[in-house]
Amino acid sequence: MSLRAKLLWIALLVVFAGGLFYLRSLGRRIFFEPPLHSDESAKARLSAAVLQPGAGPNETAVLFFPALGARKLVAESRPVKWAPGAADRVRQVLLALAEGPHQHLGHPLAASTDVRAVFLTLEGTAYVDLSGDLLSGISPGIETESLAVYSIVNSITTNIPSVKRVKILIQGQEVDTLEGHADLTDSIVPDPTLIQSGP
Amino acid sequence: MLSLTKSLQSSWRKLLLSLALLGGLALLLWPARTLRSDNFVFYFPNSRHVVPLEVIENTKYLPLLQVLNLVGRLNGLQEKRNTLKVGFGSAQIQLRADDPKIRVDKKMTTLSAPIRISNGKWMVPVDFLTMVLPMLTGQGAEYQAGMNRIFLGDVKPGSFTLRMEPLNSGARLTFQFTDKVTVRTASVNGKWVMFLGDHPIEPLEQSFHFHNPYIADVRFDDQDGLPKLIITPSAGGLNFYPVLAEGGKVLRAEVLKPPPSPQTPAPSTQTPATAAAPGAPAPASGVTKEGPATPPGPPLPVVALDAGHGGDDTGARSRDGVTEKDLVAQLVARVRQALLATQKYRIVLTRPGDVNATFEQRAVAANVAAAAYFLTFHAGDLGGGSPRVAVYTYQPPGQSLPSPGGEARPIFVPWNQVQETHLEQSRQLAQTLQQQFAIIAGVTADMPTAAPVRTLRSVNAPAVAIEIGSFSPDNDAGPLTDPSFQLHLSAVVAEVLAALQGGGA
Repeated sequence: MSLRAKLLWIALLVVFAGGLFYLRSLGRRIFFEPPLHSDESAKARLSAAVLQPGAGPNETAVLFFPALGARKLVAESRPVKWAPGAADRVRQVLLALAEGPHQHLGHPLAASTDVRAVFLTLEGTAYVDLSGDLLSGISPGIETESLAVYSIVNSITTNIPSVKRVKILIQGQEVDTLEGHADLTDSIVPDPTLIQSGP
Repeated sequence: MLSLTKSLQSSWRKLLLSLALLGGLALLLWPARTLRSDNFVFYFPNSRHVVPLEVIENTKYLPLLQVLNLVGRLNGLQEKRNTLKVGFGSAQIQLRADDPKIRVDKKMTTLSAPIRISNGKWMVPVDFLTMVLPMLTGQGAEYQAGMNRIFLGDVKPGSFTLRMEPLNSGARLTFQFTDKVTVRTASVNGKWVMFLGDHPIEPLEQSFHFHNPYIADVRFDDQDGLPKLIITPSAGGLNFYPVLAEGGKVLRAEVLKPPPSPQTPAPSTQTPATAAAPGAPAPASGVTKEGPATPPGPPLPVVALDAGHGGDDTGARSRDGVTEKDLVAQLVARVRQALLATQKYRIVLTRPGDVNATFEQRAVAANVAAAAYFLTFHAGDLGGGSPRVAVYTYQPPGQSLPSPGGEARPIFVPWNQVQETHLEQSRQLAQTLQQQFAIIAGVTADMPTAAPVRTLRSVNAPAVAIEIGSFSPDNDAGPLTDPSFQLHLSAVVAEVLAALQGGGA
């Protein structure tokens, strides 16, 4: 056997052994080791981190809540410690909206609403995926649904300027309307004319 | 080498061209499985429903689940790839795609054609209605083979006979009905349409053809759930005089050539045949001295009325248990009556009864009818007291298209942005309606505003949403179901639209 053939055989053996080792470790990872972090736990950790104080400098969040009789959105301020990421800030705004207003105003989100996911695109669209519990807090109607939608959209875009429009998903799905009235098929730009000026 | 490559490329091109041609021919000659669509009308003692019908390989098919939902309540549904199990009342129905057999509990029935799945819907041949449905409902069903209507339960449809007599300068049609009818006449696209009221009718013949210089044919139609006669004249410029007689059981309609006078008689106002007193004598030979009842002319513009909810979609619910769909159905019926009384519009309803209809289907219904105006009715929580009325125009989710008055109007408008080209006219309509609503005593009318109302998005006409309130689980619906409030509201809508059509109310 020539030297060249011997070297070739050695190289082939090394490659074969390396392949076997890789397959073994892959098999262990797939069949025996539990996943390091499930989606649920990651989401829970994210929500917890977002709500924890000390994540950023002290600032104020402006939230808009529906005033049904006046057909307007009324602003309320909240001290907030913003999370560093824009997506986490969107989540913060939504969770604060779900907590409800301090004045006698409407609830745009039911208190039990879960923020399932938030995605941001480079073009400034925020995709917010809310749980179906959202609907339990809204009485069906043009006015109630419209104000609820713009309460979400105006609150997010006011507090996170990089977000220009909001697309609302429910239970991970695109839906036609909130409860049969307000159009959710497209992403929505804020409507500043709905904001009540003055006291 | 180069010549070989060129030759190969040329062969490939020829092969591709041949394949494309073959594909095109195959598509052209492939037998169409679904030939056409139509409607099937279910008449119940107190209601009627229209169900889309499909003709597949020359057999009429109905959507199974929609039919079962009409006649009863589904208890469960189990669908596998080619089989379906449905719990209906206490019965279990089992069927298989492409198989004519259907099992109800332990009894097997063979239908005239195999069961199909079309566009994801389980379709059964129409003889399901006579062979299986009576087993499920225990109710009687009256169905004439070949017809697109069935009478379920204690429904006794009327019928009629027709006689045509030639006259000196026209022709006379005499309809003899088994039951009393009311008649409202309209002219549509050069034809005369006589709506026969609400009583169900099962005609002996669906259509009658004549070799006559004045009348070409008479056709019975109830595809939208409204029984009517459609009369096609053989020529244009004829006058039509319908008169009810014998207590509403005889309808005489004369089609006459206008008198050869140099002066054309001024057309009189449209007088519906119902205006004739019951028992009024048939028009004598001197009938031509009267003005024509409904001269065929350009068709009246259309108003599309949309009940915001229907079928399974009940909408909001009040504290005393009234559903939004029932409330808006009442309101739409009243507005329809008020608008018809102005004789300035034809009406298209986007829901032919208490049925499910998608947003797109409702927009299509209005757009196909080339509606001049579109009104959708809702009830919701408006805050504050009751009754209250709010009028909305469409608010686009993003940057809106330029209005028709703008400098650049696109030639093609995306379906989901059609309403954006009518926003200015819609705003004017909303403004006018709000001003008039505000005049109604005891009613609070909010200033018109824009809202992302999904129903309006694809409507190709000035369109507004009218929401009455407050209608919510915290309020009773009493002030909104009050006939006086509804009549006032309907009258205002009719007045505003009549004024827009010209001449004022």
